[in-house]
Amino acid sequence: MDNGGSEGIMSEVIVENVTKKFGNFVALDNVNLTIKPKEFFVLLGPSGSGKTTLLRLIAGLEDITEGSIYIGGKKVNDVPPKDRNVAMVFQNYALYPHFNVFDNIALTLKVRGYSKDAIKSRVSEIAKILHIEDILNKKPRELSGGQQQRVALARALVREPSVFLLDEPLSNLDAKLRVEARSFLRSLQKEVGVTTVFVTHDQSEAMALATTIAVLDKGIIKQVGDPYELYTKPKDIFTAGFIGSPAMNMIPGKLVKDGSSWRFVSEDFSVQLINTEFENEYDVILGIRPEHITLVKDDGINAKINNVEPMGAVTYLDIQVGSVELTVQYTGLIKLEAGMEIKVKFVEEKMLFYDRKTEKLLNI
Amino acid sequence: MKKLDAFLLILLIIFSFFALFPIYWTVITALKVNSEIFTIPPVFFPTKITFSNFYTPGTTFGEVSQTAFGSFPWLINSTIIALASSLIGTFVIGAPAAYALTRYLKNVWFARLILFMMMIPEAAFIIPFYVIITKLNMINTWWGLILVYISFTAPLSTWLLMGFFSDIPKSVEEAASIDGLSAFSTFYKIALPMVIPGIMVSIILNFINAWNEFIYALVLTYTPFPTGAQTVPLYLTDFIVIEKSFAWGGLAAAGVIVMLPSIILGIYAQKYLVKGWTMGAVKE
Repeated sequence: MDNGGSEGIMSEVIVENVTKKFGNFVALDNVNLTIKPKEFFVLLGPSGSGKTTLLRLIAGLEDITEGSIYIGGKKVNDVPPKDRNVAMVFQNYALYPHFNVFDNIALTLKVRGYSKDAIKSRVSEIAKILHIEDILNKKPRELSGGQQQRVALARALVREPSVFLLDEPLSNLDAKLRVEARSFLRSLQKEVGVTTVFVTHDQSEAMALATTIAVLDKGIIKQVGDPYELYTKPKDIFTAGFIGSPAMNMIPGKLVKDGSSWRFVSEDFSVQLINTEFENEYDVILGIRPEHITLVKDDGINAKINNVEPMGAVTYLDIQVGSVELTVQYTGLIKLEAGMEIKVKFVEEKMLFYDRKTEKLLNI
Repeated sequence: MKKLDAFLLILLIIFSFFALFPIYWTVITALKVNSEIFTIPPVFFPTKITFSNFYTPGTTFGEVSQTAFGSFPWLINSTIIALASSLIGTFVIGAPAAYALTRYLKNVWFARLILFMMMIPEAAFIIPFYVIITKLNMINTWWGLILVYISFTAPLSTWLLMGFFSDIPKSVEEAASIDGLSAFSTFYKIALPMVIPGIMVSIILNFINAWNEFIYALVLTYTPFPTGAQTVPLYLTDFIVIEKSFAWGGLAAAGVIVMLPSIILGIYAQKYLVKGWTMGAVKE
């Protein structure tokens, strides 16, 4: 009766050359991904990037236009959702309003022919993990948003799916609950150990949860990597700008050979590079994170402070360097005011250079 | 604003009077003694109440008589025919069709065709239906009328329920398909229970429509139960056409009995009805 639950729990998901079109609109363009067993895989992108479409393709809720999807080594292009042994949590939870919580969770087991006793023990086991034992008799409309979310998770996890799919499950929760649910979800996934694909547009959520993140934009996979890699070495301008909050500073300029070393020249300033090598002179965009701009006493770039935002642990400074505005993150509190003149320096090994034509990273 | 409110109030009183006075008149006539029925000027507040128009001692239950008591053979036909055409129209045709039209066959023209069917006057179909029902050997039978009545109960149910089904979030049904339900189980176990208010409205409106229907019953049936399928509206005409004395008391009493199911259902279904009419519009 159990649809291969025991081996299913170790399932790998492979997305191979998948294209999805809605009419003439290309929602996903030749996507390739390998989601390893037990991984917490996050699909990250702005709205309209195709991340939810990709999740729905894995679930079987949409037909694939071209390409193949494999779950646990088996091609599932023509397998209906119910036979894929995937479980899904929807953004609006999609609980059955006319069933109580117990029946909401138990339905999938009933359909799959579990015995009454088995259903009872499975449901109470999962209800215990998710702390919803005392609301099993309530109807969904009597529950708070956080409780509904837990019921949706319970319904998805109760039958040990091969793949656990989550479509922005935290977006309907208020800010405090969202952060709580985030860490809960992370530990739950570790405990259950099921391959998880999680869709979100919130980069901080992605960073907090993922073992691997795939960044999508306009139906194309921009980069796949672990949070560290994506944060430190974003391979293109889109990923660089999308990951990190506050966003990475982007400064247009040129890479110029200056004798034996290289120099970054912008409209308003230039920076001597000591340890960085390039093949050619390029029109580039310099990417530098707010925490990699430091305040210096002398020998720096002149800047004027536009705004100071003391956050406690850090202070954000909006500074004006010629025509560009940059954000600087200073660790700790600092007594500065708008209008003051300061000098700043970029940390050279953290400077990322993107070719302005291809938008790709030039650093090696 | 105040002036408008007062104007609306007067308008509503006039409308209510037009709607309610005939009901009041029927009820008091049913309860009047003969001498008070035939007076000029008419008696608006009867001085004596009698139930003899409903039942005359000496007649057995179900026996055809000049009192409302004799309506039983017609009532039994009406109940069966109205129930069957309402339930079949709602569950067998209306709900599945509405579900299919909102979930699978999202063609605006199908929906419009259904609306169009509801707009054609009944009288236009009398001759074709008469021919069809005769050929089917179903003249003066329950099934004859039921089939004909389904031709208007089913479109109404379909139209009405389309609005309700389209209000169900698609993700709930997708969740069901991931949980392992087949398309039919999803319809039957998930979607259908979520549109119960619509189902109620559909059953009740269908029942009332079929219960009150007159023209087809007149053409397609000619004897009461047990030999035929004549329904209760036809019983009312018997009082006028056949009885030379115009048994107004008996007619009014029978009228009360005929009205009763519609009124009870109408009151019971009020909250559903309001919701039903507002939700019935198809969302594009």
